[in-house]
Amino acid sequence: MSEVIGELLGVGHQYDEGPEIFKGVSFCIEKGSFRFITGLSGSGKSSLLKILYLGLKPKWGSVKLFGKDTFQIKPTLLPLLRQKIGVVFQEFNLLDHLTVIDNVSLPLRVRGIDIKQSYKHAGELLEWVGLGDCLKAYPPSLSGGQKQRAAIARAVITRPQLLLADEPTGNVDDEMATKLLCLFEELNKTGTAVLITTHNQRILKKFPYPQLALKEGTVFQLPIEKKAS
Amino acid sequence: MNKDQDLPLRNDIAARFVPKIIILMVYLGTLCSTFTFFMIHSTLLWEEKLTTHLSMEIPFFSDASSKDLQTRVTDLLQKTPGINKVEVVPKAEMQTLFHSLLGEGTNVDTFSLPAIVDVSLNKGDAFDVDNLETQLKAISPLIQLIDHRLWQSQVSNLLFTSTSLALLLTFLILCSTLVTTFFATRTSLLIHRKIVEVLSLIGATPSYIAKQFQRNTFKQGLFASSIGAFLAFLTFLGIYFLLENVGQTFIVKTSFFFEVLAIFILVPFITSFFMMLSARRAVMKALCS
Repeated sequence: MSEVIGELLGVGHQYDEGPEIFKGVSFCIEKGSFRFITGLSGSGKSSLLKILYLGLKPKWGSVKLFGKDTFQIKPTLLPLLRQKIGVVFQEFNLLDHLTVIDNVSLPLRVRGIDIKQSYKHAGELLEWVGLGDCLKAYPPSLSGGQKQRAAIARAVITRPQLLLADEPTGNVDDEMATKLLCLFEELNKTGTAVLITTHNQRILKKFPYPQLALKEGTVFQLPIEKKAS
Repeated sequence: MNKDQDLPLRNDIAARFVPKIIILMVYLGTLCSTFTFFMIHSTLLWEEKLTTHLSMEIPFFSDASSKDLQTRVTDLLQKTPGINKVEVVPKAEMQTLFHSLLGEGTNVDTFSLPAIVDVSLNKGDAFDVDNLETQLKAISPLIQLIDHRLWQSQVSNLLFTSTSLALLLTFLILCSTLVTTFFATRTSLLIHRKIVEVLSLIGATPSYIAKQFQRNTFKQGLFASSIGAFLAFLTFLGIYFLLENVGQTFIVKTSFFFEVLAIFILVPFITSFFMMLSARRAVMKALCS
């Protein structure tokens, strides 16, 4: 049995006095696993991911990451947990005052890696995702797809133990989407657990991995899609 | 790429007003600490002067007995143990003193001026003033012994109070500088909330984020407090030359000038260091709670 690095138990959430987005959600994330979270828009996919990257505290249930109960952990230890997670935000969350290479190398710098080395890694990665000519560009001057790729590069640069991607293919064409999913697959092969929210059916068909579907506030395990050619 | 640029702190609103406040605070604080130093120096000099000096006042008689009285007194003083130096204040000095009090045109020769004998005591030796006074009264009951130590404690108390007040004021100015820095950092943290949130989510520790604020605050503090200290130095020089022009002297000892110079050089570094700690505290308090 593979090692569990994340565990949600009876997790539920509602924003302020609004309706419950989901309730009693329980599932495990095993080391080296690859999963999609699917569901209609507004079903709570992004909120679920937010809970996993410790950006949101659920109202009910418990969340364990890397063996630590995130409700019990000291606030000073949260960054250490976050350093094991790579996140591709739906709104990219690139820092507009930093160049693309600065944005991508940021996770390395916050871990204390020197600027030269982090620039080297970031440069190589950006070259790979097709942003080799945008190293010194600022995010506001990039297209949606370019921002998406920069955000992905930033999320994977540290080779995290868990990669959470919120609609990572939402702003790119099919060819780039496939290329990015291949990057996630490669990362997965090195032991990174990958959890991706998407509603892109072509991607789901092309990459037949287990799916968790969020529907009416609960989560269902779906059968693996038949691989498309 | 500079390490301290993860957050665009240089151009935010907080950065605009803080340096101006710091310049003013440091200007006032530096002048205040210079004044404190001046008071401490003065107190020490006064105490040294007052505890080691006595004065005798020998009344003037129109016959020759005045001169004889003066000789007997000086003889007695020179034989008394614990006395370092006996000096009769010269007539010219007495005249200068009276001219300064009564005006240049005053003919002091018409006054029956007493002779003043200035006595320096050995530093640290116990001296029996009462015994000396008895012996002087035996020579002439009209001889007055002026022991400055009697009112030295009152002057010392006054100087101590002034020094303490100046110190307190300096401390309060430093505190307000630090409080200003604390709240400016909190404001800055709010302005850059989104960026701080992203940094936290990608694994930046509160300490990493605090360092960015610290570096910026230190640079800003050093720049602003250097200007404040420089302006205070100009004011100090202004006061010094003003006093020189009216015939007074501000510098009580040569070393005082160098000590004051050290204050002007050190204040910017000390201020910016404490400002840096204040900024760190503000960030850590907000992010670790």
